[in-house]
Amino acid sequence: MKLALQINGGPEGSIEILSPAPACRFRLGDGPERAADVEIPEPGVYSILMDGRSYEARVEEHPGLLVVIIDGYRFEIDVRDPRRFRRGSSGAGAGGVQTISAPMPGKVVRVLAAVGDAVEAGQGLLVVEAMKMQNEIKALRAGKVASISAREGATVAAGEVLVTIE
Amino acid sequence: MFRKVLVANRGEIAVRVIRTLREMGIGSVAVYSDVDRTSLHVRMADEAEHIGPSPSAESYLRIDRILDAARRHGAEAVHPGYGFLSENADFAAACEDAGIVFIGPSAASIRGMGSKTAARQTAIAGGAPVVPGTDRSVSFEEARAFAAGHGYPVLLKAVAGGGGKGMRRVDHASDLESAFRNAASEAERAFRNPELYVEKLIERPRHIEIQVLGDRHGHMIHLGERECSIQRRHQKVIEECPSPLVALHPEMRRAMGEAAIRAAYAVGYYNAGTVEFLVDQNGRFYFLEMNTRLQVEHPITELATGLDLVRLQVEIAAGAPLKLRQEDIRWTGSAIECRIYAEDPYNNFLPFPGKLTRLTRPLGPGIRLDGCVYDGWTVPMEYDSLLAKLAVWAGTRGEAIDRMIRALAEYDVGGIRTNIGFFRQILDDPEFRAGNLHTGFVDEFFGRTAPPAPPPELAAVAALAAALRTTAEAAPAPEPALRSSRWLDAGRSELLR
Repeated sequence: MKLALQINGGPEGSIEILSPAPACRFRLGDGPERAADVEIPEPGVYSILMDGRSYEARVEEHPGLLVVIIDGYRFEIDVRDPRRFRRGSSGAGAGGVQTISAPMPGKVVRVLAAVGDAVEAGQGLLVVEAMKMQNEIKALRAGKVASISAREGATVAAGEVLVTIE
Repeated sequence: MFRKVLVANRGEIAVRVIRTLREMGIGSVAVYSDVDRTSLHVRMADEAEHIGPSPSAESYLRIDRILDAARRHGAEAVHPGYGFLSENADFAAACEDAGIVFIGPSAASIRGMGSKTAARQTAIAGGAPVVPGTDRSVSFEEARAFAAGHGYPVLLKAVAGGGGKGMRRVDHASDLESAFRNAASEAERAFRNPELYVEKLIERPRHIEIQVLGDRHGHMIHLGERECSIQRRHQKVIEECPSPLVALHPEMRRAMGEAAIRAAYAVGYYNAGTVEFLVDQNGRFYFLEMNTRLQVEHPITELATGLDLVRLQVEIAAGAPLKLRQEDIRWTGSAIECRIYAEDPYNNFLPFPGKLTRLTRPLGPGIRLDGCVYDGWTVPMEYDSLLAKLAVWAGTRGEAIDRMIRALAEYDVGGIRTNIGFFRQILDDPEFRAGNLHTGFVDEFFGRTAPPAPPPELAAVAALAAALRTTAEAAPAPEPALRSSRWLDAGRSELLR
C-alpha cells in the first residue's frame, strides 16, 4: 500500500508498506526496499529495530495530522492514502482561505474581530488564556473574516480552528 | 511533635510535603479546588477537604476556608509550600491567632522582607551588600551625579514601577538626559507618577542564592548556595548546587552565607528561607531579596547535603532546637534540577495544558523526581504549569550534566508539550558545560543556535511509524496480562477476612 506523506511541512513524499508488522518491509519514495522489526509494547509506542539499531517512536493523533516523537525530536506528519478522498489542505495557501487555529489549549477570553471585518496582517483576532498567560492570536495575512468559531469563555484544544479569513 | 498537618497548597510541592509528613508519622490533610479533586496530592494525603472553585482566589488563597479545614480536621500546623499564601504575613498571623502553627517564619519577618524596598533597607541594616542605588526619587542632576560617581551603565527605574515600564538602560553620559525625560514621561503615563530612581546596572549577572535555616531559639546556619541563572521569562528553569562559579571560588560560599545570615537575623528570621543575590562578572555579590519560604529548587540542596528540608522545617516549627552546627554541613558531588513545565519552548514558552496520554519517568542511578502527574491526568489551565522537578546527583558537575541528559532522554510525556527537549539542548551547550552562566543565557542561546535538526534516519523511522499507524496493519497492542501469584492471592484473602 502506497501512502503520500509530508513531514514537518516539507516536500511531499511517499512511503510504500510492502509487508506489515512485525516483519515489516517498506520503501520510502524511490529508495531501496528496507526491512524493520516492529512491535507495539505499549499503546502508541512503536519499538522499531532497523539496521541493527533500536528506536522508540511515540505516535500521537492530533487534529489533521500525526505527531511522532523519537529521541526527543518531534515530527508532524500528514499521511494520506491517495486512493481515498483527499482532505482539503489546511494553512495559508497563497490567495486561498487562511485558517487560524489555537496554538495552545486554553480559554478564549476575548474575541477582537467579527465576521465580515477586513483585517490587516498581524492584526489581533482573539485572545486565548492558559495558566494565567494571555496570548493574542493574529491574522497571518490581510483579508476578510469569513467565520469565527470561537466564543468568549469557550475552552479550545490545540489545533482547533478558531477563525477563517478569505 | 505534631500529629496532623494541613498542606495549604497543591501540585508537586503538596506531594513533596506529604511524603515527608508520612516518613515522620504525621497525618496529612490536603485541600483542593473543584478541578483538583483527582490531583495527586488529594490521592496521596490521609485526609482531604474541598475548599472552593478552581480559581485560586476562591480556593487556595482563601485564608478563612483553609483555617476552617484545619480546624475541622484537627490539624495542629499548616505547611504553606511556596506560592499561594506562603509569603502572606496575614495568613501567618491568622494561623497563629487560630492556635495553629504556621510552618515558616513569623508574620513580622515576612513583612520585613515583603516589599523590595523594605527588604533592601533590612539588608542594608544587616550589613549585606546591595546594588548601589539612590533608594529614592532623584532629580536629573542627582541622577547625573550618581552615574558620574558609580560609572555607566546605569538603570533608571520608576519609583512606582513594575513590569519594565519607566525603565531605561543608559550606557553613556550623553544619553542620560533624553533617557531620563522619556522614562519619566513613560512612568507618568503608566503610574501617574513620573518619579525615577537610579541604580548601577549589573551586566550579565548570575543569580546565586543562599539557603538559610534557623530555629526559634536564635541559632541559624546556611546550607550553601544554589545557582539559578538559567531563566526564561524571569523564572528559573535550571538550578545547580554547587554553583559552577562558587566551585571555582570556594571562599564565596562562606562570604555569601554570612551575608545571608546577617540579613535574615535583621528580621528575626526562623525556619527555612532563601536570600537571593545578583553576582557581577567580578564575583561581587549584591542582595536582591529574601524568599521567606521553602524554594521550588530546594531538592538540589537536599541532594548535595543529604538533609530533608521539610523535616527540618516541621521540627523547627514544633519548637525543637536545630541540632546542626555550621561545621556539620558538608556538600558532596553535584546536583542539578530541571523544572519540567507544560509549555512549548519553541513558541515563546507558551503554556500547554491538557490531558496526558503517555508517561514514562526516568529511573536509575542518581535520579530524584518530584512531580504531581500521572498517566491520564489533565493538567489544569488554572494554575502554574510546573509538572515535575527532575533532579540528578553525581560525583562531578560534568557527570551530573551527562546524567541529566540521559534522564531527560528517558522522560516521555505524551499528549501535551513540555520543555524536556529544550533542556537537552541547553545542557549539551558548550557554554553551559563550561559554566559560563548569566540570567540572559536562554535569550542569548536562542539567538546563537538553530533549532536542532533531527538525523535523517529518524525521519525515516517516524515516517514508518506514521504509515503503520495509518494503515493499522501493525500488530495490535497486547492486552495487559492478568497477573496471578500466591502473594496476590494471599493479599486478596486477607482483604476478605
